[in-house]
Amino acid sequence: MESETADRALLERKVRRAFQVLVLQRGRNPGVKGWEMKRHLGREYRKVLEVLSEDVSPMGLEVFEVKGPDGTDDSSRFLLRFRDPPTISEAEMSGIRIDDLAVLAATIAFVNSKSGRVARREVEQFLREKFPKWRVDYSLDRYVKRGYLDQDDRGMVHIGWRTRAEVDEKTLMTMILSRAQEATKK
Amino acid sequence: MGQTKLDDYLRVIELCRDVETSSANPFDVDIREKILLLKQRLPELKLLDELLVDSEAMLELAQIVKLQDQWLKQRASALYIDPLLIQLKLKLLPKDALSDAFVKSWHPIAQVDQLSPKGLERAFVYWRELTPLSERFKDQFGSYGTKPGVLDYKDLVSLGVFTKEEFEIGLNRLYDELMQKSNGEWVDYRQFVGDESYEVKVRRAYLLAFLISEGRALLKTEPLTGKIWTMAAAEKVKGAPKSVAISITGEN
Repeated sequence: MESETADRALLERKVRRAFQVLVLQRGRNPGVKGWEMKRHLGREYRKVLEVLSEDVSPMGLEVFEVKGPDGTDDSSRFLLRFRDPPTISEAEMSGIRIDDLAVLAATIAFVNSKSGRVARREVEQFLREKFPKWRVDYSLDRYVKRGYLDQDDRGMVHIGWRTRAEVDEKTLMTMILSRAQEATKK
Repeated sequence: MGQTKLDDYLRVIELCRDVETSSANPFDVDIREKILLLKQRLPELKLLDELLVDSEAMLELAQIVKLQDQWLKQRASALYIDPLLIQLKLKLLPKDALSDAFVKSWHPIAQVDQLSPKGLERAFVYWRELTPLSERFKDQFGSYGTKPGVLDYKDLVSLGVFTKEEFEIGLNRLYDELMQKSNGEWVDYRQFVGDESYEVKVRRAYLLAFLISEGRALLKTEPLTGKIWTMAAAEKVKGAPKSVAISITGEN
């Protein structure tokens, strides 16, 4: 009985620690790598994160894992994110302009349609049909800086780690296709 | 001879780079055919530089294989939609519908970006133990040079910039030149000291400053226009001296 209480107390402590580790930004990028989690919470950190994810669920949050480039546990990045998408007005409250979001949505869809990589000049050319040049340049630079897009030294644009973490890309692609059909009918 | 031998290699490298820097289909590169070609050519290569070109071509082909792998994975995922179709759909959609689609698939990261007491403590300890800038790189670079100061004529002679004779001759030559150019009229200071070379310009400005200090030349400034005028004095001028700071830049 006593050991059960001690185990529970230990788990609670670890869950609390996991929450603190996840919510406080340490480096330049949000989230905590798998190896860091192991260091903070021990080998069984995944179980602790599962409990935390359930605990934060009533607050509309969840613990989300973004797989690293090599697919190992250590390279995975764990984040605390909104369980459900915000409303448009909530998104606007965070200081992001609707035009900027539209640029990002179009870029993600365009890059995905080009098998995940496309030359920046092609993206710019495509976006300029819909958005002014200054906004295209500004938004692309900003999203590369914030990790939503990734640009390599050959000028190729890829989907960034932050998009993988925050955006449900399948939903986005489906929404774009269905909305476009509605727009055509109108 | 060497160039023709390497032509095939250079073509392979160029082709691979073209594919890597565009959204072209990486399967357009026939890897098997290119590797067979490189294998066939390999015995002809003797020099180190030629072998390096061979390894560069192999590296580029490896990059294409990597791209082919990514391309297949992307095609196999549910995210792949025909590019033309998606471009058409994106063109049809108004901006607000695009941003609405994004927001509905968006799960923003929740995080707190602020200092914690622990972070403050670490920052304090770091600051306390940080050695002053003047001490920090002493081991690698020695102590810093002396502070900015004034170089007088003696310093310049001791540094070997001038010899005493050169200086006197230079002063007299500049005085004669100023006398000839001004001829009793004010001349533009910057035009007078100006020269193609920055070093000569500084040298002329330095000598002219000496002439002015000695009272052999006059200086006049116009604060409103920023113009500076100078003129040779036929006789040594006496009076209370005034200091004028003039910056000499590399620009003409």
